[in-house]
Amino acid sequence: MAQRLMVRRLLSLTPRTLPPQGPLAPCAPPGRLFGTSASWRSTFNVQDGSDFQDRVVNNPKPVVVDFHAQWCGPCKILGPRLEKMVAKHEGKVLMAKVDIDDHTDLAIEYEVSAVPTVLAMKNGDVVDKFVGIKDEDQLEAFLKKLIGA
Amino acid sequence: DYDLIIIGGGSGGLACSKEAAALGKKVMVLDYVVPTPLGTSWGLGGTCVNVGCIPKKLMHQAALLGQALQDSRKYGWQYEEQVKHNWEVMVEAIQNYIGSLNWGYRVSLREKSVTYLNSYGEFIEPHKIKATNRKGQVTYHTAETFVLATGERPRYMGIPGDKEYCITSDDLFSLPYCPGKTLVVGASYVALECAGFLAGLGLDVTVMVRSILLRGFDQEMAEKIGAHMETHGVKFIRKFVPVQASMPGRLKVTAKSTEGPEVFEEEYNTVLIAIGRDACTRNIGLDTIGVKINEKNGKVPVNDEEQTNVPYVYAIGDILDGKLELTPVAIQAGKLLARRLYGGSSTKCDYINVPTTVFTPLEYGSCGMAEERAIEEYGKQNLEVYHSLFWPLEWTVPGRDNNTCYAKIICNKHDNNRVVGFHVLGPNAGEVTQGFAAAIKCGLTKELLDETIGIHPTCAE
Repeated sequence: MAQRLMVRRLLSLTPRTLPPQGPLAPCAPPGRLFGTSASWRSTFNVQDGSDFQDRVVNNPKPVVVDFHAQWCGPCKILGPRLEKMVAKHEGKVLMAKVDIDDHTDLAIEYEVSAVPTVLAMKNGDVVDKFVGIKDEDQLEAFLKKLIGA
Repeated sequence: DYDLIIIGGGSGGLACSKEAAALGKKVMVLDYVVPTPLGTSWGLGGTCVNVGCIPKKLMHQAALLGQALQDSRKYGWQYEEQVKHNWEVMVEAIQNYIGSLNWGYRVSLREKSVTYLNSYGEFIEPHKIKATNRKGQVTYHTAETFVLATGERPRYMGIPGDKEYCITSDDLFSLPYCPGKTLVVGASYVALECAGFLAGLGLDVTVMVRSILLRGFDQEMAEKIGAHMETHGVKFIRKFVPVQASMPGRLKVTAKSTEGPEVFEEEYNTVLIAIGRDACTRNIGLDTIGVKINEKNGKVPVNDEEQTNVPYVYAIGDILDGKLELTPVAIQAGKLLARRLYGGSSTKCDYINVPTTVFTPLEYGSCGMAEERAIEEYGKQNLEVYHSLFWPLEWTVPGRDNNTCYAKIICNKHDNNRVVGFHVLGPNAGEVTQGFAAAIKCGLTKELLDETIGIHPTCAE
């Protein structure tokens, strides 16, 4: 998809009506606040390869990794739903979000073809995965299996 | 390091790379989009996917749906709301789709084990290129064979204010705000298609034309397209060229007549420049390795096997001198080239009788020669032209234009009345033309056409 690189340049071209927040630039919001402070700690956006290494691969706790994209409709539904289910477990499992356009190398390394793809990682290994949207019960079962096993 | 390095990840480049990789070769593709003066850039896939055919057809469809909504009341649909169009919603939906295509190409390259670099490639010595990525990091790569598939970018006018204030098709399809009152400069199919759908979405559109419409296309058809657009609200200013774009308040354009001293001045929200496209061959080090280009237009002359004057360098797609600028042509050329290089094939790309369609509000599909070209080739006395106006059944109830849709075939009397040119102006022209292109490839004659029973009720019959 198209990106606009020079925000300042474009904004200087008034007086045309420009949207107040500026052009469409892909920006992943920080982990969505979902009421409880536990969710703020349980979900994070992966910054780069070494961040992934530190916070996902080397994490003593199990981590679900949500590979998503700006242009993917189902991802926008699954993301918040998964965050909510993860938050319910109060820190026993964490959630990492990876935008596949920003971190393509990572997506390729983990063989992501379609999005959303969710991996369950424990001790650096992929122990489970699913592709596409799931409802809350299915997500709960997925998380329970990851934590319990 | 590689068997094949392809510079350019568009329709041609990707098709060639996947075919070569399927034949077991070690392939690399470089794709890099130099941002527009406004800063617009895009992902893997080339012009067609990002700023060409795909978004164009989707926006054309958006405009057609607007027309359909108008027609629907005559067919009995009743609704209270006033229908209006939201530009931002359309652009977001289209850009999301394009994003999925960009990703799809990344995945398919990976699946075929093609190495992909989002870097700008330049030749620095024979068989070796320098690749620079967005962050300025440089790597070097060598290959036995190279394919140039760098495509083109819109040309600017070279007048004051063009790069600062005007946009091109590169920017239009992801424009974050509605273009509003628009001036389209140019009479190419890009200009007319864009003017067409912008008007169809309800915008105030003016087209500024230096001389003729759709140069290179059948002129009778071109004039009919223009006439239809005019009756549907697109303003045309013929025989004028812009000389300045400035921004004293709104965007002001000053233009001069090509025939006299008259000057024209008007203000617009957006000026879209669509006067032509230039091949991206100037800054990739071709002179370093001796590849000749046509200095006038920057295009690359090749033999009928797409080989340049340097034996290990080939070229495909829009950059070829004297060949058609169409995605399916580039794809076909790329695939066949890979098969000839590595698959032992000798099939060459056939550039004759390639069908095409212009997606103006009234669509124009054609295959074979324009009437002017046929007269040049065969002589007027040796040709017979069969033509007809027609009124699509679906247009009768809503009372849409009668005597506007038109079809003609140009036959060579000395060759069994062989069809050498097929032209149709009407809805779904692309869908209609495709089948006839296959028939023309099989040597369609007037007699065969007469013997083919029509499907009723359709425009195609």
